[in-house]
Amino acid sequence: MLKRSWLSIKRKLGRTIILSLVFFMMANLVLAAFIVKSAVSAQMSYAKSTLGGTVTIQADMDAIRETQQAEMQEGGDPREMFKTMNRPSVDVKTANEIASSYTDYLKDYSYSLTTSANSNGLETVETKSAGDSGRGNMGGMTPPGMDFPGNTSSSDTALDADLTISAVNAYAYLDGVQTETITLKDGTYFDEDSTDSVLVSYEFAELNSLQVGDTIKLKNAYTEKSVTLTILGIYDTSADRANANTLYMNTATAAQFLSSDDYNEGNYDVDDVSFYMQNSDRADEFVEKINSEFSELAENHLKVAVDTSEYDSLAGSIESVGSFANLILIIVIIATVIIITLIVTINVKDRRYEIGVLMSLGASKKNIIGQIATELLIIGTLGFALASVTGTLFADTLGRAILNNQVASSAQQSEQNFGHPGATVPDQPNNQRTKGNSRADAPDFSADNLPNMKSVMTANRAQAVELDINAEPLDYLLLFVTGYLVILLALLLPATSIMRYQPKEILAGKE
Amino acid sequence: MKDQKNTLTIEHLSYSYQNGDQTQQVLDDVNATFEAGKVYAIVGESGSGKTTLLSLISALDKLQSGDIRYNHKSLKKISGQEFRLKYVNIVFQQYNLIKYMTAAENVEVASAFDNRKADPNKYLKKVGITEAEGKRLVGKLSGGQQQRVAIARALASNSPIIMADEPTGNLDEETEAKIIDIFRALAHEDDKIVIIVTHSRRVADRADKVLTLRRGQLK
Repeated sequence: MLKRSWLSIKRKLGRTIILSLVFFMMANLVLAAFIVKSAVSAQMSYAKSTLGGTVTIQADMDAIRETQQAEMQEGGDPREMFKTMNRPSVDVKTANEIASSYTDYLKDYSYSLTTSANSNGLETVETKSAGDSGRGNMGGMTPPGMDFPGNTSSSDTALDADLTISAVNAYAYLDGVQTETITLKDGTYFDEDSTDSVLVSYEFAELNSLQVGDTIKLKNAYTEKSVTLTILGIYDTSADRANANTLYMNTATAAQFLSSDDYNEGNYDVDDVSFYMQNSDRADEFVEKINSEFSELAENHLKVAVDTSEYDSLAGSIESVGSFANLILIIVIIATVIIITLIVTINVKDRRYEIGVLMSLGASKKNIIGQIATELLIIGTLGFALASVTGTLFADTLGRAILNNQVASSAQQSEQNFGHPGATVPDQPNNQRTKGNSRADAPDFSADNLPNMKSVMTANRAQAVELDINAEPLDYLLLFVTGYLVILLALLLPATSIMRYQPKEILAGKE
Repeated sequence: MKDQKNTLTIEHLSYSYQNGDQTQQVLDDVNATFEAGKVYAIVGESGSGKTTLLSLISALDKLQSGDIRYNHKSLKKISGQEFRLKYVNIVFQQYNLIKYMTAAENVEVASAFDNRKADPNKYLKKVGITEAEGKRLVGKLSGGQQQRVAIARALASNSPIIMADEPTGNLDEETEAKIIDIFRALAHEDDKIVIIVTHSRRVADRADKVLTLRRGQLK
């Protein structure tokens, strides 16, 4: 039987080659479908790692209302309660402690601080809404429509301050950078270590003949203490020059302009505390850990909340690609089964004379089917093995094409939320933090030139993303096993159909 | 006591074809006995049922009524495949060789089904095929050579009954004579039952016994 199989393969070389090519092509299609599926799966993981979601700390309005109601029931005066109501806030020490405790969960974290300063003899730019500029971050913990009059401490009482100070722990987290309303025109940006450094607007610098490297003296609006800052960079303001009198710096530098009470011996309150997750799947777990380890947050009417909107919006499109990939896989498998069945059927029907001869010589049905099955399985193995080699090459091209398409979507998504590390692609050559820097004279903000913010998450951020977009070994195993089964089933149908006739009828072609 | 000869017996064999609404009776209560060591020629007009009878005897077709026995072993009791494997081998007019195999490989095939390892050249030599010719694909051989390969295959199968359907139909007179010599040797020297279905007068003349099939009856 084996000898006959081998002779048939060897002597009917044309048929062997055609069958091998059919099996090879079908196997490639199936592998391609597996690869698309694998690439989609990889994209999901990739999206989870790049758009990992954000955890924020906000005022817990429900808890605040409950407290108020309880106090009112105890006979409290609502007007007095309103006047003394304090905005819940997080101190910088707690924010840093949370971040340093959960480095394996986080890519990065950020917070902001807004205050004022006196120009100390420097001229200020006339703006349409002077005095309002850069104050958008005040009350970052407060939901829209909610004000807390009890927070009228230092910052809001500094009525004679003519400069606004907007600070974050690193340049990329500035609202203006994210919304592209400010771009760096000269110099460089600040990070957590850029103590006593400041970014000034182009208009402010022109008005006071200032350049990068110059120093300016500002006065604390509350303590009258003079602070000397070095100009690290000059930024281009938005078209309406609304933030022309805003100075950008890191929070440590900005804290020098707080009142003594607000400074609180270095443990000042910060706004917009956000933690950027490495993987959105772990956001809930992270929230649970914070709630468990930092119970004082809840006591201060603060709520830790998960925002996975970026991931969710992109996951929808990936999942639709995934569903499409599944559909393609099903169609390809069905088409492959049909084509292989037809090819094998034609091949077996074409051999009915040989089957008749063998039957007339006394060969059993088992022996005849065994011979043809052996031939087809050998040819199938050849086709599938070749497909495994080309499939690997094909996988790389196809998988990366799909992935790059998704990365482009991811980049587009993150562009809308520029600066959020959660929306950036780690170690990508065109880091999104360079966005908005389109002017020819702008400094180089390429990823290589962008210094690390030296936060506790730097190592995590630098981690390269390696994606496996090849078909899995199990896919290859499935391909071979399914392929063999299809071949055997496709063989059994016509072979048994032919062999239920008598040899005389088969040889006479009457079957 | 003299050894009892192997015999093939046909008992009350009838066969009919259904042709639309009409039934065509081809064989009608055929009875015959074939003994080992003899060459039998079955002659008859075209359409008289010679090939049908050969197909039934060699288990290429199913019995409708009656029985065929080899040494009292009924064909009804064993499968057609087993009967073909153990008792009968057929030499077809169209040779029915496997095209992608050489002459030697075709001969080897027959012995392989009952797990015997036969030397194909031994049988090919018997029918006048050289070793070199045995290595050629059967399609490259002449009609006479192919017929001899088919006979060699029948010999290699070691079956006690050799059936031949118009074995010399495509051959010239000289080759025909050689083929008949081989069949005669098979019967007389190897003690086989040789049944040849033929139109040829020359073939019939050299048979030990001639049976004529007419109107469904074998006489």
